[in-house]
Amino acid sequence: MTSTIVSQADLSALVARLVATDTRVIAPVATPQDARRSEYRPIQRFEEAALGGPLPRRSLKEFFLPPSEVLLRYRQRKDGVDLEEVPTTFTPAVILGARPCDAAGVETLDKVMGWGTRDELWFGRREATTIVSLACPGVDSTCFCSAVGLGPDATRGADALLVPLGRASVQASSEVAKELGHMVDGFLSHAQPSADGAAGAGDASAADPEAGVAYLARAVTAKGEALLSGLGKPLADPADVELAEAFARSARERVAQNVAALGLAPNGRLRLETRLGISAADGGELLDPRLRALEQGTGVAVLPEWLARNFDHELWKTLALRCHGCGACAAVCSTCHCFDIVDEHDSYGAGARRRNWDYCQSAKFTAHASGHNPRRSQTERFRQRVIHKFSIYPRRFDAILCTGCGRCARACGAGMNLPEILGRLVQLARTEPTGSDA
Amino acid sequence: MNLYHPHRMRIDEITDETPDTRTFKLTFQEPTVRDAFQFSAGQFGEYSVFGEGESTFCIASPPTRKGYIECSFRGVGKVTQAMRRLGVGDTLGFRGPYGNTFPIDRMKGHSVVFVAGGIALPPVRCVIWNVLDLRSEFKDVTIIYGAKSVSDLVYKRELAEWASRPDVKLWQTVDPGGQTPDWKGEVGLIPKIVEKAAPSGEDAFAVVCGPPVMIKYTLPVLSKLGFADDHIYTTLENRMKCGLGKCGRCNIGQVYVCKDGPVFTLAQIKQLPPEF
Repeated sequence: MTSTIVSQADLSALVARLVATDTRVIAPVATPQDARRSEYRPIQRFEEAALGGPLPRRSLKEFFLPPSEVLLRYRQRKDGVDLEEVPTTFTPAVILGARPCDAAGVETLDKVMGWGTRDELWFGRREATTIVSLACPGVDSTCFCSAVGLGPDATRGADALLVPLGRASVQASSEVAKELGHMVDGFLSHAQPSADGAAGAGDASAADPEAGVAYLARAVTAKGEALLSGLGKPLADPADVELAEAFARSARERVAQNVAALGLAPNGRLRLETRLGISAADGGELLDPRLRALEQGTGVAVLPEWLARNFDHELWKTLALRCHGCGACAAVCSTCHCFDIVDEHDSYGAGARRRNWDYCQSAKFTAHASGHNPRRSQTERFRQRVIHKFSIYPRRFDAILCTGCGRCARACGAGMNLPEILGRLVQLARTEPTGSDA
Repeated sequence: MNLYHPHRMRIDEITDETPDTRTFKLTFQEPTVRDAFQFSAGQFGEYSVFGEGESTFCIASPPTRKGYIECSFRGVGKVTQAMRRLGVGDTLGFRGPYGNTFPIDRMKGHSVVFVAGGIALPPVRCVIWNVLDLRSEFKDVTIIYGAKSVSDLVYKRELAEWASRPDVKLWQTVDPGGQTPDWKGEVGLIPKIVEKAAPSGEDAFAVVCGPPVMIKYTLPVLSKLGFADDHIYTTLENRMKCGLGKCGRCNIGQVYVCKDGPVFTLAQIKQLPPEF
């Protein structure tokens, strides 16, 4: 796979070409109400996108598992029911500027959507979509992607990766983000006024600190290669590699600090002195794979077995006390995929069967018609959420059902903080390795 | 056709089992689907009323009877109440069969003891008829069935048929107070009747379905009678939506009831976290 240098003009031309050939292009866009907020949305022109803006408020999953999706349509006749199938092939789409955590979330979900019976609605969209990730500067102190085996420049789930060559605001925004800490509106993140305080909301540079920068573009899959082919100029200047490495290093440092503060770093120690080993000739890994494994050796790796053994641990009784069961965490999560299937009438005798997002924190989620409910209280429901992500899914599918995006902690109205809870669990797993009941 | 698209079935026959429980006999409307359809004892399906939604039940008829399936349901929720409003000739949606099966082949050559309580007879009835349709391949067949009251016993005609067969030992019981003046069966809770019937656990399998409290007190009796944990089978009835291991609802710890179950041995159930 080759690496190239693409400019904003190159990306603009790419988007124009895609839109002209009826390909949907989806990118982070500053929301009309508030330029400091971002959402993944379809765009017509590259200039609508704010690639380097704050972390989009919702993950990418809605483009593969829509919040409400028609499974079939029905129409009642006098002597029966007519059923109409829904298509399982989809318009080609390109997601430009996906956060690495969101791209990884989509690939993680391939496993549950593909085991046993293949979900054609999911895979139809997966096959029609090319994901171009954008290396992330690290959003705020809630990011913990490297604790779950990813990283701000991870390529899991991506067909191609863009790494910004320079970004003036990274350092400044890092300081601001530290001060912000766990403020409810974590989405403010690095979209802060520049050092002289001149830029404000609505200013293009505030929404996108990467305005004007070029990117090192690297294809990860054949799909990505096809998309990037002929785009930009060959990677020739070693200084460009330096810039990309500097960006990745700075982003990794920021996330590593978070992960260390949460107690989720491997052996509790930071490993910042990694040698970035990109080769201009072959466009290889940004990091030497061996060093990457060392740095990303996940603190949560102890959890799958420990959680399975500690189903009745005392800790569960107190962890969920603040949970309202509202489901905000599941809605913004990049990997929560539970759904309901319901029929909705459009008109008399006709309507659609739909698959709607659902969430395991709801009291009705597992309630039987008889009134019996295996998960009676929020304690059991919160335990289910945690063990599904960090024990059931890893043991079943060999992947952690979490990408460390931190959205659940930012969205929670009650201040539940999954990263911090993970830190406590990992701590317990290290101090009580044989289990509470042993 | 996506995996959630159901087949249409026609309701051919409706039987009221009890005041609130009803059985549908169903046939696939498309002949190609009807001819290709196969299932095994213990499997379930997603039945639907268009405009109301889907509901999960076992297939209550045995795979040895071809060309149709039956389901028995109690009208308690939105979908099952809508099902009660349907008549003969009406259309029902069906997706399936899903889940694992009772190991009929493993049971062949052995005795089989069936224990069921109340509305839990349908999944057991599927196995009972499967075994009875291949009667010569099994040793003793014992059926112990109970309900709260005489009127709550389902499949009354079939109970009468089993009672009259010389190759079946049938024990029927109702909870104390549930008997009528002309009730000829037992009076007492199922664990007591199992103790009284005392089927030998030697060279035998047990199939047990019922409310959790019945199962809880019946299993120790069966163990005392000599049934090994991996010779006692039951089904778990967790709430489901997709039936295909995707919707994230029916799991007990790491076990997905829809795909790893619904049929489990007692040995397997003892390994599950206590959340069902």
